[in-house]
Amino acid sequence: MSTPFRQDMPPPGGFEPVKYKRNLPLRGPSGLVILGGVTAVCAYGFYRLGKGNLEKRELQREKVWSRIHLVPLLLAEGDRDAYRRQQAALEREREIMKDVPGWEAGKSVYNNPRHRSSESIVVI
Amino acid sequence: MSRYLDPEESTKPYKDPTPLPADVPKVKELGVTSAPLKSAAFFLGAYCKDYNEDFMLCKSENRDPAHCLKEGRRVTRCAQDLITKLRENCLAEFEKHWNCLEYNNQEYYHCRKDERVLNKCVFEKLGLTKTIPGTPEGKTPIHEVKNPVFTGVQK
Repeated sequence: MSTPFRQDMPPPGGFEPVKYKRNLPLRGPSGLVILGGVTAVCAYGFYRLGKGNLEKRELQREKVWSRIHLVPLLLAEGDRDAYRRQQAALEREREIMKDVPGWEAGKSVYNNPRHRSSESIVVI
Repeated sequence: MSRYLDPEESTKPYKDPTPLPADVPKVKELGVTSAPLKSAAFFLGAYCKDYNEDFMLCKSENRDPAHCLKEGRRVTRCAQDLITKLRENCLAEFEKHWNCLEYNNQEYYHCRKDERVLNKCVFEKLGLTKTIPGTPEGKTPIHEVKNPVFTGVQK
């Protein structure tokens, strides 16, 4: 069996044109844009950080002053209790040492009038 | 015989075995916890300025607790007075603010909303303002900043 002769021809409509142009699709924003964006975000962040640092300083000032205003009140209350304990300790010492002649109750071991808080307290 | 006695379980009310000597005038202790004190701190500083400064000057003379008992009583009476006045005039605002402080780690910046209401009430009723000494000239004091960086988290 033999096939009839057939000339090999281009496809109907001809060959498509040869692709000789460079094909470079758009690949997102350029490096310069990204760099600029990152710089802008960082700049805003540092701006906020600086603001926050200034604000933190003021918040600390507020906190410290609120405590300073309370110092006299708490100190006065503590002093009354310290005085009460001091007097009670003196009374106890007088009672214990009443038989020892020449004993001065509450006399400091230091030859210095400066006040020293007692080293030990009796918790009652 | 030194067994621990829980005061909660005691049948008799507690009696101080070593009270203050009788010649020292009695003053009722303030008995206010930390959050209300922190809430009222700046008003306390403004209202009792003279007594506080007097007491601290006295303390700088001598650290002996017996030396400044009189000034200390004045300080405590003044604080009593202020807390009573606050409770009479701005009870709701005061309670709201110190409860907010109690629940927010006792930080002022979490409670600005309640604080402004309290400050306004105290200024109108008692004429006391909150001023933070040492705030830079020409800057808004931190408690009046409209849009601060540090605010309460997710609120």
